[in-house]
Amino acid sequence: MRELELYFGPQHLGMIGNFSITLTVEGDRIVRAVANPGYLHRGFEKLMELRTWIQNFPMVCRMNVVEPDSMEMIYAMGVEKLAGIEVPERAQFVRSIYLEMARVQSHLFGLWAYASMLGFDTVAQWAMYHRDLLLDLFEELTGGRAYHIYIWPGGVRRDFPEGFEDRLVSTLHTIGGCVPDYDAEFFNNPVFRERARGIGVVRREDCLALGGTGQVMRATGMPYDIRKIDPYAAYGRVPFNVPVRQECDAYSRIWIVRDEMIESVHMIFKLLDEMPKKGSVYKRIPNPFKWRIPAGDAYVRCESSRGELGLYIVSDGGDKPYRVHVRTPSYPHGLAILEKVLVGESIADVGNIMISMYVVAPEIDR
Amino acid sequence: MKHPLEVRLASVFKDIRTGPGPDGRLAVAAPAESVVPVLTFLKEDGFDFLQLVSCVDWIREDQIEVVYLLSKYVPAGGEAEAGVTGIVLKTRVPRAEPVLATSIHVFPVAEPYEREMHELFGVTFEGHPRLIPLLLEREYKIPPFRKDFDTRKYCEDFFGSVPPVGEKK
Repeated sequence: MRELELYFGPQHLGMIGNFSITLTVEGDRIVRAVANPGYLHRGFEKLMELRTWIQNFPMVCRMNVVEPDSMEMIYAMGVEKLAGIEVPERAQFVRSIYLEMARVQSHLFGLWAYASMLGFDTVAQWAMYHRDLLLDLFEELTGGRAYHIYIWPGGVRRDFPEGFEDRLVSTLHTIGGCVPDYDAEFFNNPVFRERARGIGVVRREDCLALGGTGQVMRATGMPYDIRKIDPYAAYGRVPFNVPVRQECDAYSRIWIVRDEMIESVHMIFKLLDEMPKKGSVYKRIPNPFKWRIPAGDAYVRCESSRGELGLYIVSDGGDKPYRVHVRTPSYPHGLAILEKVLVGESIADVGNIMISMYVVAPEIDR
Repeated sequence: MKHPLEVRLASVFKDIRTGPGPDGRLAVAAPAESVVPVLTFLKEDGFDFLQLVSCVDWIREDQIEVVYLLSKYVPAGGEAEAGVTGIVLKTRVPRAEPVLATSIHVFPVAEPYEREMHELFGVTFEGHPRLIPLLLEREYKIPPFRKDFDTRKYCEDFFGSVPPVGEKK
């Protein structure tokens, strides 16, 4: 049969953000896929070299639109590592709770994208509504809804307001009470199951070779989670499970997202119980206008809602970073693994597979 | 005391330097031609996860540093191996002619990273099958992430400058 070239994107339902793929198709089957990123390249890593250590916070959080909080965390961790700053005990717990809230809202956003892509509009509206309830809490805590800039080198910007913990628990109960509805309408829905099962299979050996992490790796039966193997913040203090499945396909990846949300909510409850009730939530840092950090380099990593998020940061002893490079989880998922996994699939499943890989385009381009 | 991995590396490669790196990582400095053999050795030694390929432009020394960060998918091997969580492999190439051998036959994930470093820093990875632009749409005289690339001047030349507030006519 004749081969045709099909331009898929940059605007389509298969991904949050702009990202295109050039598909070579034979009939309905994909013979070759070439990822074509760059629509959202803003050169943040270069711009960060021109701004002081603290001025960079509004930059880092805009790298991932959906989940800016892990970006703040990773940058704060990198600066702390270079400058040798210890974070107080209570701040570690506040950070963990905040990051788990961010994980739940990011997963709900991802669920919205997946559900609306497949035409499950009711579920999409639920997910967006429940995400909004969490954004209200973020607004109360930080003053911002989408971008928060709450985590700071040395701790967090401010402590929980009066009664915040109770409101957090009651909001999480509200969301948790709807899990049976989500299951019935979406996760166990035969229409969805038949569309998502068996497509976009990423085997363990492909994951290992092509740098897969996060849901893509955990759907192959490997419990690879930075919170377990390299604990940061307060993740070493509470027990939690890493959801794992064996099927390697799109259906198992979205089930891992669902299980992770539930696990995150349970983890927030445990963290609230274990958290020290008193104490400072930040350590004073030097005057940001005159802050010079000793020369050196560091690589720090954390588990964002999409996989391993890393930061390689170099200081030459000045008041600005000398070089910043963010290892985003979407980068290998969206460029290396996607090109491989799309081969042999049908055109109708491209968006479905892309969104199940959980890729965010701004993270690839930076 | 030297770590057993350092001793093993030193017995195979004579031209590399090793030492403790940040956060329990092992820092390895190798000349450009040894990079791929060292990566192959480390992969066989259990460091099977290439996290990042990055570049740093040390303009004062007129060199570009290419950095490979390695770690393990399944951490904690034996007792003796505890302590080394990852590898920071660094190599330096001259700024005027930065050429390295590609490592994608050792780590296939290096493919997009090397492509990006070629585009942003002008480092050529010999043997790479498609060193074509990844993120940018235009050709640049100086690779845009090098330190001598003036971001502001480029923007003003290309997009025109906006007069400061108060000077508008």
